[in-house]
Amino acid sequence: MSSRSLYPEIEPYDAGKLRVDDLHELYYEQCGNPRGKPVLFLHGGPGGGIEPRHRRFFDPSAYRIVLFDQRGCGRSTPYASLVDNTTPHLLQDIETLREHLGIDTWQLFGGSWGSTLALAYAQAHRERVTEMILRGIFTFTDEEKDWFYLHGTRVMFPDAYQAFVSAIPEPERDDLIGAYYRRLTGDDASARRAAARAWSIWECRVATLLPDDGLVAHCDDAGFTLAFARIECHYFVNNGFFSPDTQLLDNMDKLVGVPAIIVHGRYDVICPPRNAWRLHQAWPGSLLRMVEDAGHSANEPGITSALISATDRFARR
Amino acid sequence: MRGRRSFYPDIEPYDTGWLKVSDLHTIYYEQSGKPDGKPVVFVHGGPGGGTDAKQRRFFDPEAYRIILFDQRGCGRSTPHAELRDNTTWHLVADMEAIRQTLGIDRWQVFGGSWGSTLALAYAQKHPERVSELVLRGIFMLRQKELRWFYQQGASAIFPDTWEGYLQAIPEAERDDLIKAYYTRLTHEDPAVRLAAAQAWSVWEASTSFLLQSRDYMNHAGEDEFALAFARIECHYFVNGGFFEVEDQLLRDVDKIRQIPAVIAQGRYDVVCPMMSAWDLHRAWPEARLEIVSDAGHSAYEPGIVDVLIEATDGFRP
Repeated sequence: MSSRSLYPEIEPYDAGKLRVDDLHELYYEQCGNPRGKPVLFLHGGPGGGIEPRHRRFFDPSAYRIVLFDQRGCGRSTPYASLVDNTTPHLLQDIETLREHLGIDTWQLFGGSWGSTLALAYAQAHRERVTEMILRGIFTFTDEEKDWFYLHGTRVMFPDAYQAFVSAIPEPERDDLIGAYYRRLTGDDASARRAAARAWSIWECRVATLLPDDGLVAHCDDAGFTLAFARIECHYFVNNGFFSPDTQLLDNMDKLVGVPAIIVHGRYDVICPPRNAWRLHQAWPGSLLRMVEDAGHSANEPGITSALISATDRFARR
Repeated sequence: MRGRRSFYPDIEPYDTGWLKVSDLHTIYYEQSGKPDGKPVVFVHGGPGGGTDAKQRRFFDPEAYRIILFDQRGCGRSTPHAELRDNTTWHLVADMEAIRQTLGIDRWQVFGGSWGSTLALAYAQKHPERVSELVLRGIFMLRQKELRWFYQQGASAIFPDTWEGYLQAIPEAERDDLIKAYYTRLTHEDPAVRLAAAQAWSVWEASTSFLLQSRDYMNHAGEDEFALAFARIECHYFVNGGFFEVEDQLLRDVDKIRQIPAVIAQGRYDVVCPMMSAWDLHRAWPEARLEIVSDAGHSAYEPGIVDVLIEATDGFRP
């Protein structure tokens, strides 16, 4: 199979703000073909926000590409807010946005937390989903969470983990996520920033197969980092608002028959390949593409190529 | 960026021999390169991996007197796959016997994986005999390292090939996979021994390179190789490497810290993950740690070859 790269840069033909409750307003945009096949891009984090390059996974002549910033991040407001910010709220937001845009059914495309949210939405609104393309699978089980923050990733990235741990004083290290959460939600602005920075850099240093200084610099950018760290940590201390922790895997019978392509990097040490393997086993008919020379990021060549092959394949369905 | 160093040309030994080291065991050894050059001993992995002609090529043959030997029970040493009188301290004594037989006063010790374990054990026992240490894919045979690879850890990165390793053991015995394998590897029925040996060896081979090598997996599954490799490895592992305490090699670092040393570690080494190189580096900061971003466990990964040959070149007289 030939290697595919991103579609050309593209500007939205429509962008707007959608008020979803008394507090939150969401930024959304539409690109590509207004009469094309609708696809919803779900970003990661939670708290990661959308970027212009996210528009480019889709053939703009075939797709009507919808992207939005989830509560509290990107251009959605209020920035970094944790109030009324839960998975059920995000699921409702997706429905609100769909109705606002007059879309009946759409394809879901999401990586990392975006895959989590896509699975949760599809399980709640199966009838709205045409196909699913998921990358860097994360189903929010305790085992997956512990892998990244406690005992898995650190085995291969002990140097980066040391920096992550060093941001927290020794007596508090028994509960690292809790210690980060207290700082990220505390009154001390400089402590918040320092914690947000250490939290985000840990993730960015291990996100790509080869070290990517540009990505690490992005994760060090105050505008990105505070929302990313605060919202992510908030979801983690609340177990993603799932119950039990295996909720998404337990309900895969609801998605039988949904055409699905799973793309996963072999050296994804944030969401290890086992996550994808388990999802694939629980989801008859799903296709699993293991990309041998890639990590977690959506931006590595093998991952990008597999994702675009997937959107192309579903474009004319 | 300079190009990566690669192997020295193919070379044949100028001397080979067998050394009877006990009533039971006879050890194969060979010498290549420059007879009056700087002595270096290559310590192979496994234990039970044996030597290979390619391993002569990590050393400048114009500068080095290159000694390779097959540890007890493997390669051309006899009896094949024998576990009796086969312990770390027998191997350390064998190295001394070879050194004395060859009339060598001090030598460089070069080893990866189990070769790093044995090199460290040898150096800590006979520091005055070691001119330099060149180590790769650090393995200190601690319980957490064994658990990572044989029970839970690497399984998250290679869930697909893990299935093959798991399926050789009935579900009821999977709580302690090393023990379950040991029972089979030492079983009276040769067919049971061989089946277990193949599954054990192929698991390791499937995870040893950044990009999986089918050739290497096929080699690892060959009867003769697999039997010695799996039986001897498992024998050492159930016996905790015959160390007094599990972190003996870390505890005794002070005995060798005056020895010039280079540590080469693949970032994506999932067989001997980086945590051990990191622990060693923290206990022994004088040793130069080189992390290779695009490499797994194997000594033959291009970035690893480069670092190892840079090290041996640097230690030339």
